[in-house]
Amino acid sequence: MSSVLWLQGGACGGNTMSFLNAAEPTVIDLISDFGLDLVWHPSLSPQEGAQARALLQDCAQGTRPVDILVFEGSVIRGPDGRGTFNEFAGRPMQDWLRDLTAQAQVVVALGDCAAWGGLPATEPNPTDSTGLQFHRRVPGGFLGSGFRSRSGLPVVNVPGCPAHPDWITQILVALATGRAADIELDDLHRPKTFFTSFTHTGCSRNQYFEYKQSTLSFGDGTRQGCLFYEFGCRGPMTHSPCNRILWNRQSSKTRAGMPCIGCTEPEFPFFDLAPGTVFRTQKVAGVIPREVPEGSGHATYLAQAAASRVAAPPWSKKDMFVV
Amino acid sequence: MTTVDLNVSPMGRVEGDLDVRVTIDDGVVSSAWTSAAMFRGLEIILRGKDPQAGLIVTPRICGICGGSHLYKAAYALDVAWHTELPPGATLVRNIAQACETLQSIPRGFYALFAIDLTHRRHAASPLYEEAVRRFTPFTGSSYGPGVVLSAAPVEIYAIFGGQWPHSSFMVPGGVIGAPTLADVTRATAILEHWRSEWLEKRWLGCSVDRWLANRSWADVLAWIYENESQHDSDCGFFLRYCLDVGLDRYGQGTGDYLASGTYFDPELYARPTIEGRGAALISRSGVYADGAYHPFDQARVREDVTHSYYRGSAAHHPFEGETDPIDPERGREAGKYSWAKSPRYDVPDLGVRPLEAGPLARRVAAAAPDAAAHQDHDPLFGDILATIGPSVMVRVLARMHEAARTYRWVRGWLDQLDLHAPFHVPAPELADGRGFGATEAARGSLADWIVLERGRIANYQVITPTAWNIGPRDGDGTPGPIEAALVGTPVADPSDPVELGHVARSFDSCLVCTVHAFDGRTGRELSRFTLGESA
Repeated sequence: MSSVLWLQGGACGGNTMSFLNAAEPTVIDLISDFGLDLVWHPSLSPQEGAQARALLQDCAQGTRPVDILVFEGSVIRGPDGRGTFNEFAGRPMQDWLRDLTAQAQVVVALGDCAAWGGLPATEPNPTDSTGLQFHRRVPGGFLGSGFRSRSGLPVVNVPGCPAHPDWITQILVALATGRAADIELDDLHRPKTFFTSFTHTGCSRNQYFEYKQSTLSFGDGTRQGCLFYEFGCRGPMTHSPCNRILWNRQSSKTRAGMPCIGCTEPEFPFFDLAPGTVFRTQKVAGVIPREVPEGSGHATYLAQAAASRVAAPPWSKKDMFVV
Repeated sequence: MTTVDLNVSPMGRVEGDLDVRVTIDDGVVSSAWTSAAMFRGLEIILRGKDPQAGLIVTPRICGICGGSHLYKAAYALDVAWHTELPPGATLVRNIAQACETLQSIPRGFYALFAIDLTHRRHAASPLYEEAVRRFTPFTGSSYGPGVVLSAAPVEIYAIFGGQWPHSSFMVPGGVIGAPTLADVTRATAILEHWRSEWLEKRWLGCSVDRWLANRSWADVLAWIYENESQHDSDCGFFLRYCLDVGLDRYGQGTGDYLASGTYFDPELYARPTIEGRGAALISRSGVYADGAYHPFDQARVREDVTHSYYRGSAAHHPFEGETDPIDPERGREAGKYSWAKSPRYDVPDLGVRPLEAGPLARRVAAAAPDAAAHQDHDPLFGDILATIGPSVMVRVLARMHEAARTYRWVRGWLDQLDLHAPFHVPAPELADGRGFGATEAARGSLADWIVLERGRIANYQVITPTAWNIGPRDGDGTPGPIEAALVGTPVADPSDPVELGHVARSFDSCLVCTVHAFDGRTGRELSRFTLGESA
């Protein structure tokens, strides 16, 4: 039996909504089959008011054990470091967090906002939002880079805007079934099992990428081509299993024709949404992609691209995702 | 007279941070104050950004209605950029947003609202044991299937948009992709599965067509007792339980409503404009105040910040809107008490009014006379309001009724899709312009006002249904709709006021409330109370 306390800071609730879409296991299965004891969740628990507050106080003081603290949303520190832009149950949320993170066995940052600060931390960051243990890519954040929860782990980051339900349910099941030691983390404290591959991995447009064939327009134009060259797709530079573990059991953004916007990476939203950056590949000299797939340089990329274009078979210039 | 002040913080199961404070005189709420307790400043973040940044940012305002945010953000850009919208794109946008609403209806009912029906306050009801059996969180016989099946409609969203929540696949000029045959057949199969397994089998106990034949409250009452299946369905049970425990007798609200309308006829909104919007709508817009209908006109909307944590006390139209936050502690010294602004509507001849948004407001608009052939005309809630008036029960029933109507629309739109027609027409990316885009999220009127200057966003203002409903008092001291709806609520036990939860959650607002009691005269905290104890 693992006890889970789930709180929301500078959040839209999107990770909770995503979680409710979970299939194997469903949210009901998590409770009934894996014995998860949901201590409190703002959208799901019957307790509110004083009863919820008493629960939170017991958790904060350590009189009620919390195995897993799930936090969704940015840590709001404004104004002036007092955190009163986000008040919860009579206190700034950051004060609750300070107490609860010191008690929990494992702390999970669910979604970009909790992991890195996310959308609320976008320039000019009006609320002085940050992530639990990172601010964007810089270690530190709210708790500081040296933070370790009682079990000895740093904050486990499950990013994404939102995170896929399986990413969080699988981590909860792993923790509940004694597999905490199998959760290996990367440099950004993301579980490697999910965040080593790229969004690109398994994308249905990979054959177009292979031969450098671009999608030229939205709508029908996405019946062919790759979204990397013109529409700013970040699939080759973004670590996620979006095309291995499909969304809503059906699809992914890139499969549906939408460029990956890199929402599992700390820089999201990229370029702080400056004019000219939305759905548009950033280029050098008007033609060369400014960012190339992770690990390759511009010279090798250009050489490979030239060869690929020469080798491109006729079908790579035609529609593949047809009626 | 006994006066008690209750402060419910946090009020749960409203998606976001909400505190509710009420004064109770002789067991009945006499005044209420609703406070949104969290600020993220997304409108500030949008200033100076890419014109299309709203497609990325605004869906992330709300995790449960992000698709609705995307829908109106795309229309705001369509208007600003004078785009042409192919009919197929309009249909796909309609299908996707409607599927988000079909997700929200059972999820909101079972996960957020119906839990309170198991509260021991209602233990004297002969139907109480059955309510507990059905609606207890996680283990209830209806809770599990209701919550799990609520994920099915957004599978359809993902087929067209890649994922739900938080896709940005609606773009100016259409939609980003083009569906295949398998996409449409799979979407149709998922929709029909959801209809048969949840909507008909669990909720209605009858066919969609049989339910939609109800035209009056008398019809609904007769429908309950028509057969065992309808009587024992979750809908039949919900109505019988409400009538037994009195949820038809409080939570009335002001009786004035706003619908900005949604879903466009694909032929009639090929060139989106502010002026052409109303006539192209399928789910109609309209304002209903003091018993009379008025056309909805976005120019009559204002946002008042007198009691909100923003600088000043001006009431601006959103094109001139400001978002200039102040320290809430300083705000409280000036009598401010919420992060929500107070949206108001200048009703012809009546003046500035707060208006209730949501499914009931939409059903009121749908009951208005003079619907065009392509528009929703549905007399049911006109008759219900005239016969029994608004209440917690009626508000929730309006939401659930829309499951059947919306299902039928989605099926019709899927059948209309021409897979060989275009789904996007490149948009002229004008450097300057103004746009207005609006829709109906599951929980009510939702709209964006965008001002573009020199290729970037000069101003971006969003008014959410939650702001319409949860907003605080305005400069005239007139309470917001939920503040008004709480007044008159009987609270049997001030130490455990579940009735407040019934009213607040009948609005299904997108916000997240502790009860502590204050002495009405000295303001001193007397004790802390429990709200919403589990059964």
